This record gives sequence, C-alpha cells and structure tokens, in this order.
Amino acid sequence: MAKGIWVFAEQRDEEIKKVTYELLSAGRKAADALGEELCAVLMGRGVGSLAGKLGEYGADKVYVADVDALENYTTDAYTNVLADLAKEHQPTAILLACSVAGRDLAAQVAQRLGTGLMTDCTDIAMEDGQLVFTRPIYAGKAFVKAACPQARPVMATIRPNVLAADAPQAGRAAETVTVSAGAGDIRQVIKEIIKQISTRPELTEADIIVSGGRGMKGPENFAILEELADVLGAAVGASRAAVDAGWLSHSFQVGQTGKTVSPVLYIACGISGAIQHLAGMSSSKCIVAINKDPEANIFKVADYGIVGDLFEIVPLLKEEMKKLLA
Amino acid sequence: MSELMVFDEVREAIVMSGGEEIQKCMQCGVCAGSCPWGRMEEKSEFNIRAMFHMGRLGYDGYESDDYLFACTTCNQCAVRCPRGIKIPDVVRAMRSVIAETGGIPKNLKAVLGSINSQGNPWSQERGERTAWMKGVEVPEYTPDKEYLLFVCCTSAYDGRSQKVARSVVELLQAAGVSFGIIGVEEQCCGESVRKIGAEEDFTRLAEYNIGLYNKKGVKKIITTSPHCYYTFKNEYPEFGGEFEVYHYTQLLDELMAHGKLKLSKPVGGKVIYHEPCYLGRHSKAFDAPRNLMSSVPELQLVEFEGNKDNSLCCSGGGARIWMETRAGQRFSDVKIKEAAEKEAQVVATACPYCIVMLEDSLKNLNKDDVMTVKDISEILRESL
Amino acid sequence: MKIVVLMKQVFDTEAKITLDGSGKINKQGVSLVMNPYDEYAVELGLRIKEKLKGEVTVVSLGGDEVQSALRQALAMGADKAVLVDPGTEEIDEFTTATILAKAVGGMEYDIILGGFKAIDDGSVQVCGRVAEILGVPVVNVVTQAEVEEGKAVATCDIDGGSAVIEVSLPAVLTAQKGGIEPRYPSMKGIMQAKKKPMQKIGLAEIGLDAAQVAPKVKALNFFMPAARAAGKTVPGEPAEAARELARLLREEAKVI
Repeated sequence: MAKGIWVFAEQRDEEIKKVTYELLSAGRKAADALGEELCAVLMGRGVGSLAGKLGEYGADKVYVADVDALENYTTDAYTNVLADLAKEHQPTAILLACSVAGRDLAAQVAQRLGTGLMTDCTDIAMEDGQLVFTRPIYAGKAFVKAACPQARPVMATIRPNVLAADAPQAGRAAETVTVSAGAGDIRQVIKEIIKQISTRPELTEADIIVSGGRGMKGPENFAILEELADVLGAAVGASRAAVDAGWLSHSFQVGQTGKTVSPVLYIACGISGAIQHLAGMSSSKCIVAINKDPEANIFKVADYGIVGDLFEIVPLLKEEMKKLLA
Repeated sequence: MSELMVFDEVREAIVMSGGEEIQKCMQCGVCAGSCPWGRMEEKSEFNIRAMFHMGRLGYDGYESDDYLFACTTCNQCAVRCPRGIKIPDVVRAMRSVIAETGGIPKNLKAVLGSINSQGNPWSQERGERTAWMKGVEVPEYTPDKEYLLFVCCTSAYDGRSQKVARSVVELLQAAGVSFGIIGVEEQCCGESVRKIGAEEDFTRLAEYNIGLYNKKGVKKIITTSPHCYYTFKNEYPEFGGEFEVYHYTQLLDELMAHGKLKLSKPVGGKVIYHEPCYLGRHSKAFDAPRNLMSSVPELQLVEFEGNKDNSLCCSGGGARIWMETRAGQRFSDVKIKEAAEKEAQVVATACPYCIVMLEDSLKNLNKDDVMTVKDISEILRESL
Repeated sequence: MKIVVLMKQVFDTEAKITLDGSGKINKQGVSLVMNPYDEYAVELGLRIKEKLKGEVTVVSLGGDEVQSALRQALAMGADKAVLVDPGTEEIDEFTTATILAKAVGGMEYDIILGGFKAIDDGSVQVCGRVAEILGVPVVNVVTQAEVEEGKAVATCDIDGGSAVIEVSLPAVLTAQKGGIEPRYPSMKGIMQAKKKPMQKIGLAEIGLDAAQVAPKVKALNFFMPAARAAGKTVPGEPAEAARELARLLREEAKVI
C-alpha cells in the first residue's frame, strides 16, 4: 500500500533551504488529512546532522542518504537514489522545491516511476480526498488546478516563498533511516562549479526586478538599487532614458525596445513611465513605483506608489526588506 | 545551376509579395545617398541600394534587425528615385517574405502579439482604450455624426500622447464639428503591422476595421496620427474600405479657412516644425500644418534646413519605434540639435511617433529645460 | 552528427489569456510562435551542425498549425521536420514525452536538444522525461555547449551559480538563453525550406495507442488571477512609508 507524504529536503552547503520547511509544513497538513506519515529525504555528503531540524519542522521520518557521490547535485545520482527509495516504499506523494535542482530531479524521477508531475505550483490543498495543486500558466496570466488521480506517487514542485513555514517545535524528533542504496552510474561529470557571490538573475528570468530611470541622476547612484536587489535576490533593470544616458548597457533595458519582463515584483525607481517602458513591464504581477513626481505615468500602473525622494526611500526599503527576510 | 535557381526564386518571392518594382532598380545609388542612416554620426551597415541588389540576386546577409528592419519607410529615397520606385513597398515585400516564416525581430513579435490579443501594439488592455478621455466628453459615433474620430493607439494609451487626443477633441468641439468615437471595439489601423511584413495580420485588421466602420455607418474619418491617415486613405481601399479620410490638421485648416476655427490667444515663442513623414512626404500635406501655426498670434514659425520633401525623419516609422536605435544613429537627435542651434523653444509636430522619438532625444541631450516638444493641436488649443 | 531538436509551438508572450465557454484556455485570437527557448535549441543545433557536419531534425507534437513553427526551423537551416499528431487535446507532459521519445527513438540521434521550458505551461519536464525514456543522460538549463564526436561539455545554470558538465553522447541538452542568439531565417533558407521534408504522422505510425499515452495529470479547472486592485499610495515620512511598503508587499501582495 502506498503511504507517506515525502518532501525532498533541499540543502546547499550543508544548510537546509528555507523552502524545505515550507514544504514540510504543507506536507504535514496533507499527511494528517490522509492519516499517513510525513517523511523527508535528505541527500548529500556530511548532511546527517541536519536531520534533526527536519523533525522539528514536522517530519516523522527522515531518510538520509549521506554518501560522497551526492556531495554535489547531479541528475543521475540524485534520481537513482530518490527513485529507488520511492520504488521501495511507494509513497503517496513527493514534493520538491521548484529550484533548478528540484525541477531537474522531479522530471527524471516522475518519468522513472511512470507518474505525473505538476511543476511550479503556488498552492496545495486536499479536495475530495486527493491532493490538488494550483499552478500558474502563461506566465501567471492564468492558473490551473490539477491533480494526479491514479498514478502514484503524486509529484509536484512548489515555488519557494509561496507557502508559509510553521514555527519549528524544539525537541520534536524524527526517526532517522539511513539509506544504503548507491548513487549508481553517474553520467553527468562535473568539471567545474562556478559559485556566484551575488546571484543576480537574468532580467527576463528574474522574479523580482529593481529598476532605475532618469531619476537616478547618474550611474554611480545605481549602487543603491543593486544593494536592494541583492537583498531581494533581484535583477537590476533600467529605463531607456537611463540606458541612453550611458549609465547602464542596453542589456539592462526594460521596455518594448529592450526586454519585456513580467516578474512577480517590479520596483520602479525614478522612472516616469513612458509608454515604451510600460509596454515592457506592465504585466508584472505587482508593481511598486517610487518617484518624486506625483503626476508620473508610472503611478497609473503601480499597485503601490511612494511619492518621494528615492535616494532616501530606497536605502530605507533595503533595511526593511533585510529585516523581513532575515 | 542549382544556385542560380535559388537566386530566381528569391526575386520571385519578393515580386509575389508585392515588390515587383525591385526589378526596375538600376542600382544608381541615389536612394542610399539620400538615406538618413548614412548621414548619422555613427555609421550604420544599412544600405538600401545594396539590399535591393541582394534581394534581386537572392543573396543572403541582410536578414537582421539592423538591416532588413532598419528602414523607417520615411520615403526620402523614393521621392528622389529616378525610376520612381516606391521603395518602402519593396522593403515591405522583402520583410513579408521573412516575416511569414517567423523571422520577425523579437520586439516586433511582441507588437504583433499585442495587436492580435489586445487590438493595440503597446500591450495595454483592450478595455482601457478610451481611458484617454478624462476631462473631455466625447460622444459615441452614431450615423448622425459627420465624422468618426479615430484616436491612434499611441494617443489612446500613452499618457503623454493622450494629451494630444484631448487637444484634438477640444479643437474639433470649438469648431463645431459633428464627430464621435467608437471606443473599445476599435483596433489598431495596422500601419506598422504591414510595415513589419505581417500581411496576413494586416489583412485581418483591415477587414475587421472596415467591417466595423461600415456597420456603424462611418463615411468620414479624422485621424490623430498621419500613420493611421495614410493607411485608411491609401491602403484600405485595396480591401474595399472607401472612406473620406482627414488628418486632423487638414480638417482644422479647412475649418479655419471657413471661419469656423478661430485662433485668438497669442502663443509666443519660436516654434520649429518637424514634418511627420507620413503627413508630409507620403501625403504631401505640407501646407495645412503651417497655415494653422502661422495663424496663431505672436507665434514665430521657423523651419528646419530640410523640410517638406527633404525633411529628416524622426526614425520612428516602419515599426522602428519598437526597435532600439543606438545613440549616434537616431535621426531625432539630429533634429533636436538643429532645433537647439536655431534657438527654438518648441518643436512642433503632428504625429504620436514623432513625439515619442523627439521627446526621448530631448531628454537624452538634456535639452528638456530649454525646449519642449508639442503637438500642433496642443499649440492651437492654447490659442483658442 | 545526427541532431534532433524537440520543438513546441506556443502562444506568443503578449497573448491575452481568456477562458472559453467550457472553462478552458481560449485559443482564438492569439499569435502562435515557436517557443522562444526552442529557438535557442534550434540555433544550438545549427551551430553543432555547422561545426561537425550532419543533419538537424526538428520534431514537434500537435496539429497542422504547428507547421508554421516547423517551417521557421527549416528556414533557419534545419533539414527535416517531423510532426506527430497526438489525436487528442487531453495530454500532459507524460503523454508528450512518451510520444516524442517514441518518435525520436525510431531515428538515428547523437544529441537531442530542446528549450529548457515552454513559455505557455512552463512545466520544465518534457525533455528530461524524454531522456529518461530513451535511457540517455540529460543536462538542463544549458547556456553554452561545446560538442564534439562522442561528448558534450555544457555550461548550465545551477542554484547559486553555474556548472560545467560533461556527458557522453547521445544525450539530451535543454537550452536556456544567455550564450547564443537565434538567427533569422535567410531568404535562401526560406526558399530551400519549401523543398525540405515535413513528415506528418499519427500515433499508430510510431506504434503507440491512446492507452499508452493516457495522461497522468488531470486539469480540474482553469481560472484567471484576481483583477488588479486600484493602486495605493503609501503615505508617510520616508522611514514610515518604507516600512509600510515592505509590510504590504509581504502581507497583502505576498510577493516577498
């Protein structure tokens, strides 16, 4: 009999990623509703000590695969271990983070287990006794609710930061099960890993964009936007006026003559909102405008506007965001 | 032999797409010598004569944003061509061969997608098409109205350009014109769509609009943009759309001549007139804008060195308004510099695209504290 | 080198999404384009062909409307196109991957390329599934790839940076933008494309029946996002406004 809600516990540099706790909290509710256990699957090298934390966040059982071959993520090694484990224990569902590794792994495991996979989900719920997932499609212009009625396990990748993580219960322990299965034949040979200190995403890929216009007054002032962007894991963009002034290169330009973007959050600083700019960003889910001119066009598309001096507001906003995201 | 076959096929494809005049070209080079791209500070690779040569012989190498899609269709070359070739039509045909196969510049794909979905090229909501009307009352078009006022998509959605639409309305009302608008059922005229080479999309738009206007009983149309004007007047008849079309300057000029539009308030200052290509060179409406501005008390009208048939384009035509032109290659920069040398306080024009391009240049050259760009309608309204 | 590119035709990015009478995504009045990430895959395929000689075959799933996207790939320089009609609209990624893998499995291939995601459903799993079915390795989110006989060295995005990964061929690589720009079709390419083979086949011709490709995932219902509320001005002195904005973004808009 299939049983257990599984969460792939993503870690990097021996630290559990926050999204894992979000998945555990959601998984806990699903497991309780189904009367099944909640299991975390932890893979890596030297990661065994992290199992305790997973218990505190709700896992009943933690499968730990702690071997050298899992030190760095490779598609084959992780797929082999997770798929073998799932074949053995037949869980009801496997939840993963919608990260680069999470979605890579999810696709391989889903196919190997011959099951369905819903990716990039923003919500998970129990409806009529089955797990139902909500996922944005067409870049968030519509949503679909979907389920995997028969095939097991039900698999899904969930976006980070969309589900709430419950507070950990200190001292709550999970049963730790050491996984002895090997990583098997690994066909992806890692030649080099290039870590970025600042992981500023590419403009068109970014979930958050901090953008500056002519109101930035000069290239040197973009530093305050970069600092805010780094706190948010955001990309930095610019209006045509800022690019024209030579403050940033054309690759930063947002707008119809530059890049069309539709991030979850777009923060426009000192951008007046010419139609060319609006056409390239108005499909963003949430738009913030900071501008000293209350008549600026950008306020017409903004969800939140602050009329004021961006040189004062942006650094303050950065501090507030730091506090929130700490 | 097989290579030669390919050459012929390319030429035939261009001819089939409406570029038959490419065969009349004698490669004299007057076109390239007239082309604004060649007169910019920073050299461009674009050469219209060479493109014709390549097109005729079936060579590759011009299929790019900066070559095939460089032409602003300003018509400067065509008015000088000794063989009288309608060069923009051939450019359009060459683009359409590529466009049919999906080879459309990325930015222009978004424009086409937006027009298909939203009826406008600016990725704005179809339902907000009449948002420009704040503060002015415009009745809906009904058959008892004499004119349909067609507000260009840019003036319908761009905050700056919306002011132009409102000025035009106020002027028409002041002159007692009977007009109305259709509103959210309207779609883009398709001028840029055709210039991009997306013939199928253009045909669909033209047929939709013609059907809509006929259903509403439209006989006469006033446009805010010379691009819409040109398309309604010259291209819709191919699809059975026979309307009497006016750019608003033409109608106001007539009204003024008949004493219905009175300009009385002085509007001082030196105003230089930037001639929109599609009003001037393409449509030969040289006098109406000048008559109107000259009638404004105390307005000092000055001219660019090249005007009328020799006016320099703003670089926003031929769908270039949605593409990036590098600083140093923007025609509008040259215009603003000349206007500044002539110490104009206002650059006047009568086209929404020209306004976008000229205002960008004004800011870029940091001249926005000494000069403004105005639509003629805005100047006239001040003088009411 | 035998190069296969898996390609999808999608709504263009500006498409206005609405629901039809039966609550499904309305397909009327939208432009269809080649999935932009697949354009990168086609470009990558063409560059490999130019370097190593060989042949590029583009494979897609869908009805006749997909031919325009396939023709674009042919005009860019691909040699052959194969279009498989699944015969039903009820498909999921399992269905698509099963069909594509079966179609590709019947061909010779050294490398299989695709966009790392499609911009419509954004599901990011079809190419990976195809690799799994064919039993070949996959490298996802590739920005650059050096391909030689028998192996590929790919630079790909990973969480927190990038990695250089080597795989033996045959393999599946999925393309991310970054390294290369897709080319325009050339005039000559367009003329030649008209003579290039475009094979249209159904499930039976690749030895599949409807039951074998039945979807695992079922869409229950589609819905539109909540209408945008009117914009708010966040009042107060800078410090106060910044604090309030951060709070609103987290608690009300839920975007951070």
